[in-house]
Amino acid sequence: MAVLDMGVAAHPKPNNHEARTAWGLAAPALALMFLILLVPVIVAGVLSFTNYSLGNSGFDWVGTQNYERLFTRSTYEKMFIATFTYVVTVVPISVGLGLGAALLVHSLGRIGDIYKTIYFLPVMATLLAMAIAWEFMLHPTIGMVNRTLAMACGSWFEVIPFFANGCNDGFPLWLGDRDYAIWVVCFIGVWQGFGFNMVLFLSGLTSVHRELYHAAEMDGARSGWDRFWLVTWPALGPTTVFVVTISCIRAFQVFDTIEAFWPQGGGPNKSAYVMMFAIFEKGVQQNLIGIGSAITVLFLIFVMFLTLIQRRLVERKVHYG
Amino acid sequence: MAGLEVTSLTKQFGETRVLKGVTLGIADGEFVSLVGPSGCGKSTLLRIIAGLETANSGTVTIGKAEVTDTRAADRNLSMVFQSYALYPHLTVAENIAVPLRMREMTSLQRLPVIGGVMPGARHQKHSIAQSVARAADMLEIGPLLGRKPGQLSGGQRQRVALGRALVRDPAAFLLDEPLSNLDAKLRVQTRTEIAELHRKLGATFVYVTHDQVEAMTMSDRIAVMMDGEILQCATPEIIYEDPDDIRVAEFIGSPKINILPIEQSGAELYLFGRPLKWREIGESTRAMQMGLRPEALRLMQSAPHFKGRVAHIENLGAEIFAQIALNDEGLRVTLRASPAERPMIELGAEVGLGFDAAAALIFDADGKRMRKIEIIAGLTPEVA
Repeated sequence: MAVLDMGVAAHPKPNNHEARTAWGLAAPALALMFLILLVPVIVAGVLSFTNYSLGNSGFDWVGTQNYERLFTRSTYEKMFIATFTYVVTVVPISVGLGLGAALLVHSLGRIGDIYKTIYFLPVMATLLAMAIAWEFMLHPTIGMVNRTLAMACGSWFEVIPFFANGCNDGFPLWLGDRDYAIWVVCFIGVWQGFGFNMVLFLSGLTSVHRELYHAAEMDGARSGWDRFWLVTWPALGPTTVFVVTISCIRAFQVFDTIEAFWPQGGGPNKSAYVMMFAIFEKGVQQNLIGIGSAITVLFLIFVMFLTLIQRRLVERKVHYG
Repeated sequence: MAGLEVTSLTKQFGETRVLKGVTLGIADGEFVSLVGPSGCGKSTLLRIIAGLETANSGTVTIGKAEVTDTRAADRNLSMVFQSYALYPHLTVAENIAVPLRMREMTSLQRLPVIGGVMPGARHQKHSIAQSVARAADMLEIGPLLGRKPGQLSGGQRQRVALGRALVRDPAAFLLDEPLSNLDAKLRVQTRTEIAELHRKLGATFVYVTHDQVEAMTMSDRIAVMMDGEILQCATPEIIYEDPDDIRVAEFIGSPKINILPIEQSGAELYLFGRPLKWREIGESTRAMQMGLRPEALRLMQSAPHFKGRVAHIENLGAEIFAQIALNDEGLRVTLRASPAERPMIELGAEVGLGFDAAAALIFDADGKRMRKIEIIAGLTPEVA
């Protein structure tokens, strides 16, 4: 007992000197974090309430005028529609396809590696270059897509209304058609993104304990579906949350496809006018920093909101272990 | 409940022959241990019985039905895995309920939200919950039912794995080294519990272990496996006292049995150059080995059979094991002595040893037991 008491008495007081050194050592990192990461966000937040343009010596406070415009003008309504269409389409499809491809590739032996490489190719390729290739393929008259579709004319394919209309009035203009433009962009987003998701899911699959499948079989899980729900899907929980978060953020950030296809204005009738392109157009091309900042702040809020929802889901539902 | 039978099972992984024609019958309600060193094929044999591996040839029969080509899920067996293989995202209660949910509920009834309103689902759920409670009661894990496997200790997980196996009423229970991840104290305790569980359920148990003590203490019969073959399958007493093969004798028993070379000259047998006063066995010259359990050796002051120097002493309290070096080449025997004999065995002291001829086991050069010679030599009383 005596020894214990002595130990308590001899316990050193929190040393001021030590604490100061610690702060001193952490200071450069803290300063950099503040300067590089937080200051720009704050600046954007402040500028979103002004009418500042680059080069001007001063600016006027305009209050919430920029935000009011965002929610009243039809251009911005189109922006929201295009952005959410893209996110809501691309995220589930690229996650679902990524998971499906990962399960199939995982069940293969050595050939799986070849599939992995092929599916990962679009991820590695520059989207800008790929977009040009797509633009050629989707050209209304000389493009590969429409010429291939035209080959179906005169056959029983014409029973399908799409082909019947196409053969009579010409196939869609794709990139030039305001009904198709955003879906083409979505398709390219899925095509480009699911390989990345597949690789993430594959790494998640390797951590599934093999004996669990044997246990599931002994417990009477006869179909692959049963085993998937009992073993695979729960084990992939953490991976799935990560993949969905990453996919959402990437989907909100879509820009290069739009810029490559329609450098002048976000698609026919602004049907593919996504947020990132709007920020670029307003803030950089038209030098309207105020409105550009307002869209940026809104963008940040969306992404933060999504991330928060996902964090909640993770803590409540997903099992890590 | 049913008996099990495997006939001439062979299994090959590439070039390696893991099982070389294994035949084994297990009666209804029997507790049989498959014991052997790692890599002997015992786990493979269990997995083939379970249906998780397919044999290259041979048949598996459960009860009266041949199940060689039946998939594991349809064989009506329960298995406890070495790693326990609990579903990490499910609570203990849900884990134990899985075999019942999978087998007794339709896939529609199992659906998360819609399942609850399917006809019969409520009744099913109720009866499953009762079965889970009964299994948890039997294993005294009631308070753990709401926890996830990650929050349990090794011993608790092991119990949950057992619970998941016995929540149903399968044809037989298969246990694959279920105690090997537990600490020594818990292993001894769980050993007793599993043996008692077997008596209570009266079910067929097939138990794989590399630990001969587990096999000896729990089983009705032990099948000793080595190099893909069953060397002997008999009760623990017979396996210990009357092994067919020197490898069985060496594997079972702790400390290990002492093996001494015997020379034959003419019709007489010699141990270290001294004739053994046994009956003459005839002329056929053969190299032989004699197995002596540590308890068959005793200290002998006058006219010992052989002498040696005490090289190492292990005092376990109730008994003392002394390693005695017989010659300079490192041949050692282990002697079991009582604490009263402790003063006679000093490290480095020379001691004389004798043995009980009736306890000696004679093997030929290949390790096969030579019961005939033992009878001729008068070691074992002749059986009519």
